[in-house]
Amino acid sequence: MANKQKLSLTEEDLVTALQRHEKVAADALYDMYSSSLYGVIFRIVNDTPTAEDVLQETFIKIWHSSNSYSTQKGRLFTWMINIARNLAIDKIRSKNFKNQNKNQDIENNVSAIDKQNNTEFKPELLGVKDLVETLRPEQKSILDLVYFKGYTHTEAAEKLEIPLGTIKTRLRMAIQQLRKHFN
Amino acid sequence: MSVEDIKAYIESGVLELYVLGDVSAEERAGVEAMALKYAEVRAELNEIEKSMQLYADTQGIQPAGELRNRVLNSLVTNLGDDRNFRSHTSAQENDNVVPMYKRNASAAIFYKYAFAASLFLLCISLVALVLLYKQLDNTHERLVALQTQNQQFSRQVTVKDDELAIFRDPSFQLIRLKGTPKSPASALTVAWSAKSNKVVIDMANVKLPKTDEAHQYQLWAIADGKPVDLGVFDAVADSAANLKPMKSIAEAQAFAVTVEPRGGSANPTMSEMTVIATL
Repeated sequence: MANKQKLSLTEEDLVTALQRHEKVAADALYDMYSSSLYGVIFRIVNDTPTAEDVLQETFIKIWHSSNSYSTQKGRLFTWMINIARNLAIDKIRSKNFKNQNKNQDIENNVSAIDKQNNTEFKPELLGVKDLVETLRPEQKSILDLVYFKGYTHTEAAEKLEIPLGTIKTRLRMAIQQLRKHFN
Repeated sequence: MSVEDIKAYIESGVLELYVLGDVSAEERAGVEAMALKYAEVRAELNEIEKSMQLYADTQGIQPAGELRNRVLNSLVTNLGDDRNFRSHTSAQENDNVVPMYKRNASAAIFYKYAFAASLFLLCISLVALVLLYKQLDNTHERLVALQTQNQQFSRQVTVKDDELAIFRDPSFQLIRLKGTPKSPASALTVAWSAKSNKVVIDMANVKLPKTDEAHQYQLWAIADGKPVDLGVFDAVADSAANLKPMKSIAEAQAFAVTVEPRGGSANPTMSEMTVIATL
């Protein structure tokens, strides 16, 4: 893989190709979004084989339901990350996963840490370090709970023992910070 | 909606929740409708989405290299899958497909009723079969009865034919034997043909007293002064044959009947003579 040029298309071209089920769309989709989607999935299921299965299911679902996506609904990525998050949550709520996970907790946590250290660095984006400085820890934890772990803001409020209104405000503030940061 | 209202809507935080995937279906539809209607909402939404996408990018985890082929193969394999062509299948084509049974359930109900109907028909058939068999049996019995009757008739017809033949034959002469002084009321008719030598008794017209079980009547012919045995008979009328054929005789001057022990005697017991006729 390493010596291969990663495929990248404009979002418009990608959507058109995807909805026509052209092979180039599959390649571009994977190269452009697999690590972002895998990041979300892995944070939720916390187990490499399961995360890989869910990533595959996610791409299959994106591929087959691409016609239900329309650019009027917003960005393609927003639609895709919703699919990935929902599939991952469905997976951990399934009975099979709960049973199997009891025995593998420790092992998974170790691999989870390994994986997180392996977070991809993209030179075209601003550094992760800068980002951490941009977001205050309490903002990041709320944002990650909702965006990556699939918590509703009500669940996040309960988990962090913070009033619902504060959660909403912090979420909005966090996103404002990110916008400033990326602009 | 005024500019202030739009601003308030943007600041309400619902757009952020929308991008984070934390909205109900109605809220989602509401945000999408607002974004379509107001460019400011659309622009704000787009900014949030871009930021979150970039953030997700920085938080991305590179999956194992071999996963790329696995995932892409599963998509490419599915390229030939029927589902991929759904978008190109017009609604018209789908309309042309008429299901044989609308649902499996209705088919099941159909078979249930069909089975019940079959059982019902089977019962009716069995009852009909039994009734028909009884009728057939009846018909057979009647047929046998009719055949028996028919045989009786044909036998009777034959007998009558024989009788008629005798009466028509001019060579037969009817000899009326009259009662002797011992039994003056007795009478018997005998037909005799001198030509064919046949002798018959008209059993329908026998007027003789009944004999006991040990005795029978015996017919005699007197030829050249000697009695000749012509056979024995009972005085009881025989329904099968009105004319009882007796032994033949070529010549006779007289006929007589005596009562003899059962089976007959070699010589007549003259004292027991009941009827006699002289030619």
